[in-house]
Amino acid sequence: MPDNGEVIISIRNLSRKFNSVTAVDDVDLDVIAGEFLTLLGPSGSGKTTVLRMIAGFEKPDSGTISLAGKDVSQLPPYERDVNTVFQDYALFPHMSVAENIEYGLRVKGVSKVERRAASEKALEQVRLSGYGDRKPNQLSGGQRQRVALARAIINRPSVLLLDEPLGALDLKLREQMQIELKELQKELGITFIFVTHDQEEALTMSDRIAIFNKGKIEQIASPQEIYERPRTSFVSEFVGKINKITVGGEEINIRPEFVTIFRTESTAVSQLKGRVKDVIFSGAVTRYLVEADRNPMIIANNAHDSIEVGDQVSISWAKDKEFLVK
Amino acid sequence: MRNKRLFSKFAALSAAALILAGCGSSSDTATSGVPKVEMLKELGAGEGQVNIVAWAGYVENGSTDPKVDWVSDFEGETGCKVNVKVGATSDDMVSLMKSGEYDVVSASGDASLRLIYGGDVAPVNTDLIPNYADVFAGLKDQQWNSVDGVAYGVPHGRGANLLAYRTDIVKPAPTSWGSVFDENSPYKGKITAYDSPIYLADAALYLMKTQPDLGITYPYALDQKQFDAAVALLTAQKPLIGEYWGDYLKHVASLKSGGTVLGTTWQVNINLAQSEGTKVEGIKPVEGSTGWSDTWMISSKSKNPNCAYMWMDHIASPKANAAVAEWFGEAPSNAKACDITADPNFCTTYHAADEAYWTDVYYWNTPTEACLDGRTDVQCIPYSEWVKAWSSLRNS
Amino acid sequence: MHKHPRARLGALLFAPGLWLVVAYLGALAALLVTAFFTIDSFTGNVLYRFNLDNFHDMLTDAAYKNVFLRTLGIAVAVTVICTVIAIPMALFMAKVAHPKYRKILVALVLTPLWASYLVKIYAWRTMLEPGSGVIDWLLGPIGIHSPGFGGSAIILGLSYLWLPYMILPIYAGLDRLPNNLLDASSDLGAGNFHTFRRIVLPLIFPSIVAGSLFTFSLSLGDYITAQIIGGKLQLLGNVVYQNFSINLPFAATISFIPVSIMALYLWMVRRTGALADL
Repeated sequence: MPDNGEVIISIRNLSRKFNSVTAVDDVDLDVIAGEFLTLLGPSGSGKTTVLRMIAGFEKPDSGTISLAGKDVSQLPPYERDVNTVFQDYALFPHMSVAENIEYGLRVKGVSKVERRAASEKALEQVRLSGYGDRKPNQLSGGQRQRVALARAIINRPSVLLLDEPLGALDLKLREQMQIELKELQKELGITFIFVTHDQEEALTMSDRIAIFNKGKIEQIASPQEIYERPRTSFVSEFVGKINKITVGGEEINIRPEFVTIFRTESTAVSQLKGRVKDVIFSGAVTRYLVEADRNPMIIANNAHDSIEVGDQVSISWAKDKEFLVK
Repeated sequence: MRNKRLFSKFAALSAAALILAGCGSSSDTATSGVPKVEMLKELGAGEGQVNIVAWAGYVENGSTDPKVDWVSDFEGETGCKVNVKVGATSDDMVSLMKSGEYDVVSASGDASLRLIYGGDVAPVNTDLIPNYADVFAGLKDQQWNSVDGVAYGVPHGRGANLLAYRTDIVKPAPTSWGSVFDENSPYKGKITAYDSPIYLADAALYLMKTQPDLGITYPYALDQKQFDAAVALLTAQKPLIGEYWGDYLKHVASLKSGGTVLGTTWQVNINLAQSEGTKVEGIKPVEGSTGWSDTWMISSKSKNPNCAYMWMDHIASPKANAAVAEWFGEAPSNAKACDITADPNFCTTYHAADEAYWTDVYYWNTPTEACLDGRTDVQCIPYSEWVKAWSSLRNS
Repeated sequence: MHKHPRARLGALLFAPGLWLVVAYLGALAALLVTAFFTIDSFTGNVLYRFNLDNFHDMLTDAAYKNVFLRTLGIAVAVTVICTVIAIPMALFMAKVAHPKYRKILVALVLTPLWASYLVKIYAWRTMLEPGSGVIDWLLGPIGIHSPGFGGSAIILGLSYLWLPYMILPIYAGLDRLPNNLLDASSDLGAGNFHTFRRIVLPLIFPSIVAGSLFTFSLSLGDYITAQIIGGKLQLLGNVVYQNFSINLPFAATISFIPVSIMALYLWMVRRTGALADL
């Protein structure tokens, strides 16, 4: 995350209702120039509505959205210096790839020669050189995604909005695109606001993550902080697996990966003792389901010892990985 | 209805075409003489219905006006249900009769001969029609209803095409057909004319009286020069016309609304418009008029000949003949009808027996190449050319 | 039977197939054949002798060229007027009105179709009546007068009659047009006009063509509207109607003009995808 700290988008008291359902409820949010901010939350949590209000497709019921210090909340989309990559790409089916990409420039009246040069460069940036003359329906899902991206970035917006852009891609392609997107963002230096409901995606790509729940932001912080120091139980459960255990009358939370497991004979210091109920091997990680002092726990770790079902085990963790939630 | 008829007609034609294509012959029989068609020998029981093609106002069952009904009693007495199809023009009627779906037609003189020579109607056995005896002698055995002394129908009545004008608008009242041909008419755009090729005869009649140089003696016998003059007169008249009328109801509505204030009409239309409170009159102008002498004829393909004969006898009866003549506003054909008209002076008013009155009324007739006025040194323009000229005039 | 799906399909399609071939194509063939016949000049009976006289008459008489051009012009004008009115109406129905009102609006657009054609045209006759009609009565005081019976009245009447046939395909086309394309265009900086011209119009063009097939062909073949509110003006349909009872072969010849124009039009638009839109 760039550390100049300049705020590019400032949202204050933003609310929006659809009929009687409150989609966005009094949200405040500052977006810092050049960062990759992810809006993460389950469906219906309000993250997409916030994005659409930033783009201008929805008008807020109340509150303000300032872009580079100017209140844009009542402006139409075409008067805002932001561009959007849509969930299903929204490519214009009657135009070629190049025409799609050049659309924004054409609207602005940029000459044909300049447009062509810019679109070729944008195609190169998304690694689709030579595809300019095709029609969108001749492209694969991943290629369409890149065209949509190129169409948005060619306009050099101060902020790029991405509405679940990888949702329709298969896992492998999605992982590849995550990396490419992140690199592209660094290369361009444009602020990205990225909407997803996939916490892994959010953790992988973001500088900061804002967790949405029921129209409100529960927590906004770096991926590491979100993961290790979730402030609320919603956040803690949404971004990963969690063990809620009671030790000495005190309830603490600890992520499975931060727990170490030993056979009882080992000499290490332990906080709890228990018995292995199940062992689940899944390649890189092995998970153990353990009953420890009446606390059912999941432990995910590479154990030093070979541990089997029924073994008595000792369990320990670093104190600073514990966290409390509201 | 029309589409169905159109289709069946095309279908029949295409079938005929296929057959003809096979034998490569021609079926040109019409102009050589009258096709031989048998007449009915004796009257049997009614078939339960009769299908009639008639002019508006000729077959009234009380649905237009409850007091105007000479169909219900016929249906009650004979058990023949009357189905009527109103024809707007003689061409319409000829076409309807060719379909073979109708038993009886009230044909005007410009349709009757075409039907006879087309083999579409049968000679009428007048012995089976008791009321035929009372028909005015002057109407029997005429050129338009008989061939070589064989009657092809029962005379119905006669009348003149009138010049209608709105008495509250057209002042002074017109006396001449010239009022509908006047290029400077103050009623330009509100003048009407009858929408049929036969209307060329109205122009010819006017020219006959106003341009003697042309030498027209009979409006249905025009050589090329006379014909061209009539067409030219109607072409010059076209800018004056608001609407040509074929549908009499629309015509009456137009007289009522004032969309039409002057032009050709029938007495029945005047009567209808007046009954709706329209201030309108109809006159026979000084030049005389075209007109009609109608004949009830029976189809050569009639499926209900007995009911058809019963109808022809009924409509020629004094009572029905008087009723229809009074309603339509024409002279009855049955001499005894004059004694029982509601208006005792009706037959006098309409000159039923006054042959002098009819001398300047030229009944509709079908023009042929052989001039109907007896000229043999020129060829006259046949009706098919009238049709073409009219179509051209209407569409230019 | 269920073991022979082909036989079953054949049996199912036999009746409609027969109808199509005999009634539909058969009628068209009969029309074509009839056009080459002639009539007896006196009795009006059709003479089954092959000749080209009718086509000669049609092509040499200036009246028919005039009526052809007039009919074509009116059909084009009606189509243009219907398109210009239908696009904003359909746009409102499909993209502006609340979704729950859309079905109601579609039903409202369809309501005029429930009334008889004749009733509607006679209603227009009453409204257009110069001097005493509704239009003169209502709009006369502000200086707008009825055009009277004639070409303008025909264009007005036909545009009114065929408008639903234009609105519905355009509405369907707009309904299928994803909203996010409009959002995308706006997002890329295009104002409403530009979005309409560059995105909406090209994408609903097949729908417009589909609608025009209705408005154009229905106008081309109409004769009743011309009869009732056309004054003395005649269209091709009137020529057919007029000659139908007098000279059937010539009526068939004339009716070839609209049939040929429609065939040509269909051939021209087949590439736009409009035919798939019907």
